[in-house]
Amino acid sequence: MQIFPRSLNRLPAIVAIGVALAGGLVTSLVWYYFTPKHTHVGYEPRQPVPYSHWLHAGQMGMDCRYCHANIERAAHAQIPPTQTCMNCHSLVRTDSARLAVVRESWETGRAIEWVKVHRLPDHAYFDHSVHLSAGVGCVTCHGRVDRMEVVRQDQSLSMGWCLDCHRNPAPNIRPVDQINNMDQNLSGTAQPPRQLAPPQPCSGSHR
Amino acid sequence: MSRRSPYEFEGPAPEAPVWWTSLDDYATQQDTSPSARADLAAEMPEGAWDFSDPVSRRGFMTLMGAAVSLATLQGCRRPVDKILPYARTPEDVTVNVTSFYATVIDRRGDAVGLLVESHEGRPTKVEGNPDHTGSHGKTDLLAQASVLDLYDPDRSRQPTLQGATKTYADFEGALREALTGHTSNGGTGLHVLVQPSISPTFVRLREAVKARFPNARFHTWEAASASNARAGARLAFGQAVVPVVDFARARVTVSIDSDFLQTDPGVVRNTRSWAEGRRVRSPADEPSRLYVVESNYSNTGGNADHRLRLPSREIEAYLKALAARLVSEHHIDLGDVAAAVRGAQAPSGVDAKWVNVVAADLAAHRGASALVAGTRQPAPVHALVHALNQGLGNAGQTVKYAPVADANEADDHAAEVKSLSDALNANQVQTLLVLGGNPVYDAPGGRALSDKIAAVAFSAHLSMHADETSEKCKWHVPRAHWLETWGDAQSLDGVVAIQQPLIQPLFSGRSDIEVLGLLSDAPSYRGYELVRETFRTQNAGNGFERAWRRALNVGIATSAVSPVGPGLRGAEIIRSLSGRNAGAPLSKTNLEVVFAVDAKMYDGRHANNSWLQELPDPVTKITWDNAAMFSPKTAEELGIRGGDMVRLTKGNRSLEIAAWVLPGHADNSVTLPLGWGRTRAGRVGNGHGFDVNPLRTVEAPWFEDGFSATSMGTRYPISQTQDHHRMEGRPIAIETTVAQYREQPNFAERMSPTPRTLPLWRAPNAYEGHKWGMTIDLNSCTGCNACVVACQSENNIPVVGKEQVGRGREMHWLRVDRYFVSPRGQGDADERATSDPAMAVQPLGCVHCENAPCENVCPVAATVHSTEGLNEMAYNRCIGTRYCANNCPYKVRRFNYLNWHNDGVYQPLDGDMPEIVRMAMNPNVTVRFRGVMEKCTYCVQRIQGRKIEAKRENRELRDGEITTACAQACPADAITFGDLNLRGSRVSELARTDRRYKLLGEIGTQPRTTYLARIRNPNPEMQG
Repeated sequence: MQIFPRSLNRLPAIVAIGVALAGGLVTSLVWYYFTPKHTHVGYEPRQPVPYSHWLHAGQMGMDCRYCHANIERAAHAQIPPTQTCMNCHSLVRTDSARLAVVRESWETGRAIEWVKVHRLPDHAYFDHSVHLSAGVGCVTCHGRVDRMEVVRQDQSLSMGWCLDCHRNPAPNIRPVDQINNMDQNLSGTAQPPRQLAPPQPCSGSHR
Repeated sequence: MSRRSPYEFEGPAPEAPVWWTSLDDYATQQDTSPSARADLAAEMPEGAWDFSDPVSRRGFMTLMGAAVSLATLQGCRRPVDKILPYARTPEDVTVNVTSFYATVIDRRGDAVGLLVESHEGRPTKVEGNPDHTGSHGKTDLLAQASVLDLYDPDRSRQPTLQGATKTYADFEGALREALTGHTSNGGTGLHVLVQPSISPTFVRLREAVKARFPNARFHTWEAASASNARAGARLAFGQAVVPVVDFARARVTVSIDSDFLQTDPGVVRNTRSWAEGRRVRSPADEPSRLYVVESNYSNTGGNADHRLRLPSREIEAYLKALAARLVSEHHIDLGDVAAAVRGAQAPSGVDAKWVNVVAADLAAHRGASALVAGTRQPAPVHALVHALNQGLGNAGQTVKYAPVADANEADDHAAEVKSLSDALNANQVQTLLVLGGNPVYDAPGGRALSDKIAAVAFSAHLSMHADETSEKCKWHVPRAHWLETWGDAQSLDGVVAIQQPLIQPLFSGRSDIEVLGLLSDAPSYRGYELVRETFRTQNAGNGFERAWRRALNVGIATSAVSPVGPGLRGAEIIRSLSGRNAGAPLSKTNLEVVFAVDAKMYDGRHANNSWLQELPDPVTKITWDNAAMFSPKTAEELGIRGGDMVRLTKGNRSLEIAAWVLPGHADNSVTLPLGWGRTRAGRVGNGHGFDVNPLRTVEAPWFEDGFSATSMGTRYPISQTQDHHRMEGRPIAIETTVAQYREQPNFAERMSPTPRTLPLWRAPNAYEGHKWGMTIDLNSCTGCNACVVACQSENNIPVVGKEQVGRGREMHWLRVDRYFVSPRGQGDADERATSDPAMAVQPLGCVHCENAPCENVCPVAATVHSTEGLNEMAYNRCIGTRYCANNCPYKVRRFNYLNWHNDGVYQPLDGDMPEIVRMAMNPNVTVRFRGVMEKCTYCVQRIQGRKIEAKRENRELRDGEITTACAQACPADAITFGDLNLRGSRVSELARTDRRYKLLGEIGTQPRTTYLARIRNPNPEMQG
């Protein structure tokens, strides 16, 4: 008496292939979504101007806010207008070939097309000013920009990453006068300037 | 009191009035048979589920294929975004920091001072200027909507000569050449058609042109002209003055066919002071009382305590009878004028109480009452109203007279059109300039003018669109939007404000004053120089530059002028009042036709504004169309149903128009809203509604009898929202009278009690921080709909078009429900109820329930509760199941059935959504896509923005710092937003007043929005 129909002969093979496929899928999904590849950490696009943060911010010690001005009162960190470059480069290295694009922009009035590095997910609204006033330093999210020849994405900028800090901001708070200091060890050394209540509901970032 | 089941609605109390939205709804509520109920129980109108879009299977596959491949690509590769900073940053621009500039808008003869929000030089939102007396921080419907006109992709882009593209230099050259002929003859044959203006610069330049060309003729015309009021003032006082009524101090107001809360001059000012006079803080307060006599059911009539419906032509007789009674019984001193009204009788059918009781009420409030005449009524009526206000001692108290902005403007605009048409007929016009306006469309006999205009040697039309008049003129010159150009405006009380542009003209348009500057041969005809010149002459002496900068900064150039106290000229008034006969009695074969300024289209100038097209009319709730308004009785006599096409005929004039049955309309009178049926307005406005101007004549521009109406036997589809989002007869817009309120101050909460049952689970939030809430005072709300458009502008709300509104898919987050209210009764109650109901309005957006039914049913947690009590929508989580909308008892959730922004109203759309339309968007609010649910967020972007500001400054939020778009716009100050947990905040005080109630409180949703019930103040003498 045959209990199992003949068609079940192929079952082990089907199961084996299915398990292999599912396993492969799970592996590739984990490979992709559980690694910085998904969040583009390390994204380091070529910029139209070979501008070196290592030289300007690191070696020469320029304040971040000289170029990224208004960051303390605006949501966006302003990418400096060509005018800011020309403040110095109308006097310094006036004929450098590396600055040809900047000079062209200055003469024609056309914008330099910088490539965006830190891209937030769609529907997310982020405000730089309120984070700075709470004592979150530049380095916390952007990494050691002063050591980057070309700017690279340092943190994942994912929602989970945002919420980690919003749930427990203390380790990332530094003295408000040290926000542009690139020393990562300063984080978590200070009391916040006010009772921090970072929003956790959706509308904190999604409007 | 028996225990009430918390989750069951027991039906209205037997003594409660009937609230109903339409005649169908009324009939259903009276008829309890199951079939009738089933008819309307279907929420969606018939055909709502039809998918008959003109999208072919092939088109669908193409789009889907593209979408899928794009989505796949996006998944593999991160898109490369570019950041384009300025090369040179403009002064005063900080990227992503909003700036506000003070400017001013002309709203039907009154100036409303504004602060306009600008994002990197792109104006997106209009707010009132708190320092300006015409605004006090508030705005109206049309001011809110006018920002969209700026970004209208259908605006004309360059000058044209008979259709051929030209440049401004060409036009200026041609105009100068045309003018050389006139310099020798002093301007004979030079005619300029202008709109009435309140701009001192305009007046100054017009006088300069007249000085240069003494024989030139200026004709002033506007279809929505208020020249009757002006002529009435001149009759009464011998000079043109405007009455400015302080409704806050007037305890009794009688409106003589005046829609002062919606379409008549000074809406913002009037609404504000009227709401102030109606304010009820406790039972001790006495709200003012409003009597309205009108033919159409206007918004002002909807706010009346007592409303008398009379055909417009009979209102004069009523006013005379009222005056006669005041003189004979109450010994009001009208001087000579008393003779003109002695023995006057009210029109037949008017209850004697309407004369006797109203007269007694007025006489009891000498110096604290006001009569207001509508712009539609002829000059003698205005003159008699002035005389009555003087006799009652109101002049100088509640009614103040201010000098007009333009003392040389003509008093009779219809005659101005007549004189132009005479000159054209006599071939006396060599050069014709039309500055703004659209006379071929909206002037009486405009169609007949058009051929004559085409024959003029040099004709030019300055307008924002290449419209009906442009077609007939040789030259068409783009006109600048008011946000693009310099100007100035004088408000009713004499405050002059500078109209400061926020943006360079997008299509290099010119303003009226710039063209006048050209005509006057001013040294510079740039708007900036012209306005400064006017201001310089007014502010002679040193410190001009300082004063100018201050004027721009504050938004006010000169302060209010002191009111004048002109003396009456009785003899003139008597002469004007005598010998006016009403004519043959009105009947269904002798109908009166009344022209009404449209609340949305005005005179047709806003026809291409999609926000206004889609906004339901404040009273009729019709969108995208106008219709002829009939009373239920007249409609029945003529055999007309709402939506039938009718033909109105008198002599050789006739008009085919859709009919609408409006409860409360005067019998034997037909109201025709102006401003519709445009043929060359643009892609949005063309072909919507019916052009009623062909029936208008120079002799009778506002109302005329002798018409007959016949049903044509065809139907016209009308999309109206009055039966959408129904509330099934529950007590929603709660109201009572002053007397009953004093007897039982918490009446409203008793009608809509919150159940005292234990919650099923522990409340997740204690709300210890901020607790956002809103109060809406129905006693102040006039139903003007400014909030709806303000919300649309702030929150990037799309429009869906007439067909989709017909399917109930309109997207307004905030709607204003309009209910008719009539007493429950027997016998001929139905007839009385439908012919003469009262009106109640109720703005309704998401009420942010603490126990929100929508949140419980969302399978993906896209709508969740915040720690501050907001019911939040995360658009990127929403998968569009629409469970939430089905479970919402307030019917305030809106679903994006299509990608409205792109598939919307600019059809045919060449390619993607035009760049210029995107410029109108608020960058702080997500633009929602197809398949996503959305609803009122309490303007969460404003909450977060102000919170961030306060955090940055390390301080607590102040009360009133955060306000929603609707609350900020509301001219009646009916909406208040704030923190319920903040001690002493306005909203927490208001939410505790005795008139409070929670909408549908009995179902236990615990809404954050608290309504304050409306208190009517009927005169006990008028009852019974």
